[in-house]
Amino acid sequence: MFRNNYDNDSVTFSPQGRIFQVEYALEAIKQGSVAVGLVSKTHAVLVALKRNAEELGSYQKKIIGIDTHLGVALAGLAPDARVLSNFMRQQSMSSRLLYNRPVPISRVVNAIADKAQVNTQHYGRRPYGVGLLVAGVDETGPHLWEFQPSGMVLEYKGAAIGARSQSARTYLERAFEEFVDSSREELVLHGLKALRDSLAQDKELTTANTTVSVVGIGENFKLYDGDEVGEWLEKLGNVQSSRGGRTGEEAAESMDTSE
Amino acid sequence: MPSSTSIGTGYDLSNSVFSPDGRNFQVEYATKAVENGGTAIGIRCKDGVVLAVEKLIGSKLLVPGSNKRIASVDNHIGIACSGLVPDARHFTSRARSEASNWRKLYRSPIPISSMADAMGGYAQAYTLYSSVRPFGVTAIIGGMDEAGGPGLWMVEPSGVGWGYFGAATGRGRQAAKAELEKLPLPNITVEEAVKQAARIIYFAHDDNSKDKDFELEMTWVRLEKGSAEELEEGGATKGWGKHEEVPKELVAEAERLAKESMEGGGDEEMEE
Amino acid sequence: MNHFPEAWGRPRNDVYGAYDASHLQSSMPNQHTQSPIVTGTSVVALKFNGGVVIAADNLASYGSLARFTDIERLKQVGTHTVVGAGGDISDMQYLHEKLLDPLIIKEEYQNDGHHLRASHIYRYLSRVLYQRRCKFNPLWNTLLVAGWDEGKSFLASADLLGTTFAAPALATGFGAHLAVPLLRRVCPDEAAVENITREQAIAAVEECMKVLFYRDARSLNKYSLAIITGEGVESVGEGAAKEKVTIEWKKDVELQNQSWKFAEGIRGYGAQVV
Repeated sequence: MFRNNYDNDSVTFSPQGRIFQVEYALEAIKQGSVAVGLVSKTHAVLVALKRNAEELGSYQKKIIGIDTHLGVALAGLAPDARVLSNFMRQQSMSSRLLYNRPVPISRVVNAIADKAQVNTQHYGRRPYGVGLLVAGVDETGPHLWEFQPSGMVLEYKGAAIGARSQSARTYLERAFEEFVDSSREELVLHGLKALRDSLAQDKELTTANTTVSVVGIGENFKLYDGDEVGEWLEKLGNVQSSRGGRTGEEAAESMDTSE
Repeated sequence: MPSSTSIGTGYDLSNSVFSPDGRNFQVEYATKAVENGGTAIGIRCKDGVVLAVEKLIGSKLLVPGSNKRIASVDNHIGIACSGLVPDARHFTSRARSEASNWRKLYRSPIPISSMADAMGGYAQAYTLYSSVRPFGVTAIIGGMDEAGGPGLWMVEPSGVGWGYFGAATGRGRQAAKAELEKLPLPNITVEEAVKQAARIIYFAHDDNSKDKDFELEMTWVRLEKGSAEELEEGGATKGWGKHEEVPKELVAEAERLAKESMEGGGDEEMEE
Repeated sequence: MNHFPEAWGRPRNDVYGAYDASHLQSSMPNQHTQSPIVTGTSVVALKFNGGVVIAADNLASYGSLARFTDIERLKQVGTHTVVGAGGDISDMQYLHEKLLDPLIIKEEYQNDGHHLRASHIYRYLSRVLYQRRCKFNPLWNTLLVAGWDEGKSFLASADLLGTTFAAPALATGFGAHLAVPLLRRVCPDEAAVENITREQAIAAVEECMKVLFYRDARSLNKYSLAIITGEGVESVGEGAAKEKVTIEWKKDVELQNQSWKFAEGIRGYGAQVV
């Protein structure tokens, strides 16, 4: 049987110059449910699909507020995301304490990138098993960054991570030119449409499984969860993937908890 | 490159281990990672240094002009990297510490050769232990200092570091080197080098990764505007330089010329 | 025999008894700066409509000795800010060379469009000063931070205790007593700033430098002056408004039009009693 000898740890290069442990960590992101982020001239939006382990269980948090100007959406190992987001909160607070300045988005993103890189170069550590979308507003405007366990960070106009995120990405690639001039509401709806496209068959967006966050110039980070998502789903109308289904209004009322 | 017979014999599974024929395979594999990266070049001129990279664009959703690949590590030094981007960030952040420590200790900016020494040593340390892996990065370090004037060095994953007039790394390095060798280095000006660098990056891109989109990123190091050295008649070639992005208009013009030369069948002698 | 290294060369315990280690106690309690050594005197600053002007003389005194007469106590930090320092000169140099210079280099090499402006630098300095005083090892300075920030002129003070406050007219050291009342005639409150022109502000500060030279025995008739002017406020997006900040320097300015006539009227010093 073929056995890959080069994938036991993150301090071994394969003959092709690859680090398999890091690549496997990237796979962990795809085990998580989908998260989508996008930016306009004035706003940055995150939307995500929450999952519950069993029907009577609660839904896993997908979006974490970091500061009043900044939040993250995660896909992959939630505990790793909590470690990283706590670190980001520390960075954010120390920026406010020491410089009286909300931390610039790129700086806090690069800080977690550097943290993650170390885990890919030293024995006895494992790479983080989570991907993040970081959305925020600073003095240079709204920004969206994607963070990967490899320590790679990239700034995007629109991005999607997690299971079936390719469908969402396809939507983003088709529509991204409209984002820049979108209003706050249009931007959220673009995000929800991308999210809807990544739904599995016979699944739909509900107030229970959908989560939305918005941050804008002069507007604090705001998380919409549970019933609050209802207004967005109503505006979206169709909440089912690629075939006509119930409207958002009906879905908002039904409190569907199906996985 | 490792011959296929020695791969998988077990001597290539851990860093810091020699094979019976005296090679450290993990370092060679790290070099492989560099060879998959976008092309990076450096040109040493008579009045400064130019750095350029071919930044491959994986998605049209990326913000244009963002995600910079050439970093400043002090006022007067820039580093262009090829290879694993996160490793490059680690590497440059170490270079920034070296620069800052040097200033604290000696009250003056670090000379380029000393920076190359320090970073060569740092990269080499990552070949010594089985608990770490080498950097998957080759770094081109360019700058200008008071004693040596323009300086250009390239540090490889093994820790080896040489001084260059023209340096190239990444997947298009062969094509780029061939082009660099045709230039009368270091006897060209920074302005000329900007055009040549753009042309070489376009040429190397065409040669190696034609199917992919890329952005050209270029910086230079030259005497700071208004500095005593710059104001000297004719402009001295020594003094502390300033590392900054090449102005947008100059990059645009250089790219226009580069595209023209590609259409004209590539390989032309340098104009002017 | 005890062959551990720490026992080498020591008298043998079995012969002389255990060594009384209390005699080895060489360390005293930690000692910190109790007073400044080489000092600078006042820094004077005043806001005006569209900017702020700041001045400090070029003297560094060693006690009452006018030891160095070419010391620059105003320094530009980044593109938007000038920091003026009174108090210990070596602490001021430490602040600049070991803290602020690296800070600005770090800020600039990020190349991400963010810059430290006056309020950021002011907060940073206040935190450093306060942290040091909490360690009972203060940096012996009083600082004025002048600059342009978010479309407004900025002026604030921080001292060795970490005390912070802001006002449209500020002075440190002797000037806190002598110059501030003079400046307040020109600028009683924040609202008055918009009616003060650049020329008026410079004239008021120059007048203060002169009065300080008359009365402050640790001052010098040569000083530096920086005028920070700004226009607009930076906003984001394409075609957005840009701010424009310029810092004009006047160095080695000699006091003009001195008149020591008032000195004749002074009574109560030296041999002359009445």
